[in-house]
Amino acid sequence: MNLHIFQGFGEVLIEVTMALLPLVVFFSVFQLFMLKLPKERVLQTGLGFVLTFFGLAFFLQGVHIGFMPFGELMGAELGDWQYRWAIIPIGFVLGFVATFAEPAVRIMNEEVDRETGGYISSQVMLYTLSTGVGLSIALSMLRILTGWSIWYFILPGYLIALILIFFSTRTFIAIAFDSGGVATGPMTVTFIVSVAVGIASVTEGRDPLVDGFGMIALVALTPIIAVLVVGLLFNRKAGNQNHESES
Amino acid sequence: MENVKSTFKEVASAILPVTIVVILLQVLIIRLPLEALLQFLIGVIFVGTGFFLFLLGVNAGLLPIGELIGKKLPLTRKPWLIIGTGLVLGLAVTIAEPDVRVLANQIDEVSGGGISRNILILSVSIGLAIFVALAMVRTLFSIPIHYMLIGGYSVVFLLSFFVPEAFIPISFDAGGVTTGPMAVPFILALGIGVASVLRSDKPSSGEGFGLIGLASIGPIIAVMLLGVLYR
Repeated sequence: MNLHIFQGFGEVLIEVTMALLPLVVFFSVFQLFMLKLPKERVLQTGLGFVLTFFGLAFFLQGVHIGFMPFGELMGAELGDWQYRWAIIPIGFVLGFVATFAEPAVRIMNEEVDRETGGYISSQVMLYTLSTGVGLSIALSMLRILTGWSIWYFILPGYLIALILIFFSTRTFIAIAFDSGGVATGPMTVTFIVSVAVGIASVTEGRDPLVDGFGMIALVALTPIIAVLVVGLLFNRKAGNQNHESES
Repeated sequence: MENVKSTFKEVASAILPVTIVVILLQVLIIRLPLEALLQFLIGVIFVGTGFFLFLLGVNAGLLPIGELIGKKLPLTRKPWLIIGTGLVLGLAVTIAEPDVRVLANQIDEVSGGGISRNILILSVSIGLAIFVALAMVRTLFSIPIHYMLIGGYSVVFLLSFFVPEAFIPISFDAGGVTTGPMAVPFILALGIGVASVLRSDKPSSGEGFGLIGLASIGPIIAVMLLGVLYR
């Protein structure tokens, strides 16, 4: 057996260093000129940065050596399967569960829960975002099967989102559009895109490169709509109570 | 220790669903060689360990610091400092984001080398930085978020009529890709911090959100503009 464990770990470490460095510099400048935190707080923050560094490095390494190659093989098998339409529901389920494993989604959900005082709980957020991402993957699979242009999804999608804005409260609008950026993380994007690339590679008339494009765009779009729709349900439930200022 | 325990539980609930689904697919449909599954399971262990350390680390470092800086900034009563901070932070974070580099390679390919990696990374960063700064302006002057969202996306739709078709999916991809797992907690916390000071009369209404959503528009516009110029 020929298992890869630390293959390419050096590159991952460089990547993570590059991502963390500006934030460390940023903090240092503020610490020197404005925050002037006591030594213990600085040490605690430093420890936090170190944990974050190794955490993200191991996470990305796991995605690279485990999820990505398996995703691609899996995609190639699924694309060859006799029940090809089944990749649409399978895509939904994969997108749904991959969102659970997205670090930024966890952080976002907890912050929403805390900032709204539990009004929008982290559980509600998680299931909403998961459903959103699941739908986007299902749509992407439909696109691979049919070859429809990404335009038919993106344009109506954003129009729906913009129309929903007029029926939503400020809180939900802000959280919804944040969710779009948050949902597109290393797990959803790297893992799911590699499954899609695998499927496209065994599908006639599909260019894996071209079909990979636009997938992230869909993943960024559907959670926005999902959160806005949940916002409508919340508002209806709350009736005309003024929990928050209407937009 | 209680913290560590609850984080561990959280990681398990995050990683297990996707692992179980993949194993089910393996058993029921795909039946890849055992070696591939083993390789996947090693990946699961790495992802789980990494997730655990990441959550602990972010809660001890990036989140409290981001919020603290966000709270201190408005107290300086210097709007240019708040806006400038947003601008610099946006630039630095995007240039450092690994996924932006992947995107830059893809665009290099689509444009047949017409748009070099550095130009793309730079314009995406500037696009994001400008919108982070605009989002700061919005918070400072209490401009409703939907004005900016509708304005931003109207520009996107207008531009899309002039952009070569190959650029459209990539520009929207750029919006999603620029906000990575390192930048999200920090920008999120910063926005919450700033809003908590400026809107202290309305507690916990979630006014601090929206920074990431607005920031995503910048890269879309930047890549579209590149596409227009490239044509």
